[in-house]
Amino acid sequence: MSNSDIYLLTTLLVYTGVAMIASWGLNLQIGETNVLNFGFILFEAVGAYVTAILTLGPDTGNGGVQQYVFGAVLPFPVPWLVAMVVGAALGLVMGLLTVRRLRGDYEAVVMLVMAVVAYYAVSADTSLLNGSEGLSLIPAPFTGAVGGGPNTSMTYRWVYVAVVALVCVLAFIVVNRVTSAPLGRALRAVRDNDAVAMSLGKDATRLRILVQMVGGALGALAGAMLVQWVGAWAPGSWTYPETFTLFAAIIVGGTANIAGVGLGAVIVPGIILEGVIFLPTFGPSYLTPALQWILIGVLIVGFMWFRPQGIIPERRRRFPALAVPGTAGESNAVQLVDLEPRRS
Amino acid sequence: MSSDTVTGGVEATRGGSDAVAVAENGGKCILETRGVRKSFGGVVAVENVSIRVPQGRIVGLIGPNGAGKSTLLSILAGAQVPDAGSVWFLGEEISRQNPVKRARKGLTRTFQLSGDLPRLTVLENLLLAAPDQRGEHLWAALAGKRVWKRQEEALVIRARALLNRFDLRKHEDAYVSELSGGQRRLVEIMRSLMANPRLLLLDEPFAGVNPSLSRRIESHLIDLRADGLTMVLVEHELGVVERCCDPVVVMAMGRVIAEGTMGDVRTRGEVLDAYLAG
Amino acid sequence: MSQFIAATGFGIVNAGIFALAAVGFTLQFSVTNVLNIAFGAIMTLAAFVAYELNVVVGADIWLALIIAAAASGILSVLINRGIIQPFLKRGTSFFGMVVITIALDLMVEYAVEAIWGPTFLHYNVAAGSPVTLGSLSFTHFQLVAIGISVVGMLAIHLLLKRTKLGKAMRATSCDPRLSKVCGIRTSRIHDAGWFLSGMLAGMAGVILGLTLGTFSFTVGDSYLIVIIAATMLGGIGQAYGAMLGAVVIGLVTQWSSLVISGGYSEVVAFVILVAVLLIRPTGIISGVAADRNMAA
Ligand SMILES: Nc1ncnc2c1ncn2[C@@H]1O[C@H](COP(=O)(O)OP(=O)(O)O)[C@@H](O)[C@H]1O
Ligand SMILES: [Mg+2]
Repeated sequence: MSNSDIYLLTTLLVYTGVAMIASWGLNLQIGETNVLNFGFILFEAVGAYVTAILTLGPDTGNGGVQQYVFGAVLPFPVPWLVAMVVGAALGLVMGLLTVRRLRGDYEAVVMLVMAVVAYYAVSADTSLLNGSEGLSLIPAPFTGAVGGGPNTSMTYRWVYVAVVALVCVLAFIVVNRVTSAPLGRALRAVRDNDAVAMSLGKDATRLRILVQMVGGALGALAGAMLVQWVGAWAPGSWTYPETFTLFAAIIVGGTANIAGVGLGAVIVPGIILEGVIFLPTFGPSYLTPALQWILIGVLIVGFMWFRPQGIIPERRRRFPALAVPGTAGESNAVQLVDLEPRRS
Repeated sequence: MSSDTVTGGVEATRGGSDAVAVAENGGKCILETRGVRKSFGGVVAVENVSIRVPQGRIVGLIGPNGAGKSTLLSILAGAQVPDAGSVWFLGEEISRQNPVKRARKGLTRTFQLSGDLPRLTVLENLLLAAPDQRGEHLWAALAGKRVWKRQEEALVIRARALLNRFDLRKHEDAYVSELSGGQRRLVEIMRSLMANPRLLLLDEPFAGVNPSLSRRIESHLIDLRADGLTMVLVEHELGVVERCCDPVVVMAMGRVIAEGTMGDVRTRGEVLDAYLAG
Repeated sequence: MSQFIAATGFGIVNAGIFALAAVGFTLQFSVTNVLNIAFGAIMTLAAFVAYELNVVVGADIWLALIIAAAASGILSVLINRGIIQPFLKRGTSFFGMVVITIALDLMVEYAVEAIWGPTFLHYNVAAGSPVTLGSLSFTHFQLVAIGISVVGMLAIHLLLKRTKLGKAMRATSCDPRLSKVCGIRTSRIHDAGWFLSGMLAGMAGVILGLTLGTFSFTVGDSYLIVIIAATMLGGIGQAYGAMLGAVVIGLVTQWSSLVISGGYSEVVAFVILVAVLLIRPTGIISGVAADRNMAA
């Protein structure tokens, strides 16, 4: 493989891994809990900005070419961890803002509006995060240890891919544990019918805020990983349709199925959006991105019509046979009524 | 509205002769409402309702469509907040508590319509309802299965015992959306039982259920009462109410128009009028 | 003071454009209960169709506006018949419907880019001399924009209050099932709702192109969010609420640019919106949002 092929392939892999983590985070919200977060890209943006200012150092550096707040140099992986914490905090804020139950589509539009507000605010204020120009020259992590950076060393590029893959595995474990535990069952109950969930003592509000926070942390982590690979981050990187590529990944792959969502991330943000770097260019430069967006739109409408459950549908959860302790089989004797007073 | 006005209204209603009558033949009450009122825009759905639910009984709540029965049940369960009046459960005022808190105290309900969780299996529906599950906490979920496995297995055993008792064991892996209407009602009742209720509020559990299954649900309810469970049963088919319920509360146009045993209530002219008018 | 008056003037022009679009957006929602994000793309498409007629074919801009608006109305009906209704009949959720209209929005918007390219275009119109009213100075197009908007709002008012169609639309909006029972042919009314909303989107798109001077394929989407803000501010589903919201947003965004940098004007609009949603999630006029349990 030539160096330029490695260059393209590693880029494809990093983008796909990043999108996979973000899609899992978003799936916890829309797929498992029916929290319709159309502003999810905000989490990625926050993670990226936090990581940028925690690795760039003071803004007088680099000849003062850009302006931003704070500015520190923290060692890897501290910026990523801080990004996750800030992402979770943002999730808490978004959760609290929509905690007064809004009807699904209305709530979706409110969150979309939030992402757009942030976009305009960040673009308008140049002293905060360098405005619409955005931040650049963001250093890559662990360059000293590997001996080179993404633009100088192919080894470094593979190491970064490996780190992203490792984080994907960890993220998989997290979302898998959350969704297969009784917690996941409670989330799906809120998704299916939150009045019923509440009537059974499941605190729907708390659960919705919880997935905003966990999903927010994952989204921010995705942004952190992306920004240190690309080295630049501007409002143009997180316009609201970007959220939509994640929606497309989830719908195509299979809502509320972790493997399905992972597959969707490989197909949509991976192959369809990034895979074109392997194709010969054709037509004017704007044509390919335009066709990509049209294709994503077609895929969404097509899947919603022909296969709304996605390529890998949600799993039916079965439970193994269990014998009553001390006996060989099951019983139908069950104490149904509990007359003891209980703690509240 | 200040709490003073609430209590003020209460004293007035508590002296009402009907309320005393119920209490007399009922002994200890686990739930009580005092002067509850609820309106939606111009429609007064529930007006000055004071009822008492004696321990260990099935209280029948009957009345024509639109009488306010479901609204009253929602007020008891906390899904609706009353405009005035108060709700007391196990000696404590719960008027302002949300449904989650009330459910955790053992106040469980079923829904007249749309009580399904369509994309959970029957067994998951039952497991969901169990209170105090360790695995519902984020940290326990993240720590992995070993933290919550024991409790989960115990719940699966208990849920299957319930399914055996209600003859739905073979459907445990079915999604609720794959069941018949009557089976869904049964799932809803079983699910409520998994919550270990102190008081079960049933909103027309026989609606749309075929007669033989209705009979079975009815006998299950009577068995549950024998086990000591207290229930409020909203129903407008009087036969069932006659067989299961004592006392019976009759509502019409948002008000309680009669209460007592079914025999008493039957003879009252207002009740017949309300049914004929409804 | 003169700055304030100038800002007020611009605010009124913007309010006029926002009002056309916001009434279209909200009317369609109130009649059909679908939040249609593709509305922005329809504005864009209309602006480009008018460009094609005006610059390439050489038609007068007002003729181009009428044709583009009619074409947008027809396209909206086709979208309703071909895509929205089939999904609704299948029982697709609210969320699903929003996703579908966003997908449509992307498809139309990027089809416009694929056809006309990403460059900024302008109509072939004579600039005319500015008209001064007291200390306010308007371009010829700004005045026409205000005129069209006022006439449009009056027409909508008369339609809703005086015509059978308008009454049927209001009835359908209040209670779709009851209306059906009463013999209103709701599918016709839905088509009418989509047609009207498409037509208003088309008019707003072309007028936006005219008053902005130059526009690109993102023109509709970049204003859609402000339009949604105006709609929600007034109370979703309320035609008069949308007019009110449009005036508030139009004026406030211009006034705020006197105090803080103009770049923040959108931010100010959204901060107002978020504040309103927090205090009164149903918007200023709450009827539809409250009836449909959109917010509690
Ligand atoms: N959420 C609501 N919004 C508006 N009106 C309601 C609502 N719930 C119930 N009502 C009205 O309150 C009255 C009582 O309804 P309900 O409690 O469902 O009666 P029942 O269960 O006895 O048939 C009816 O007139 C009904 O239309
Ligand atoms: Mg009822």
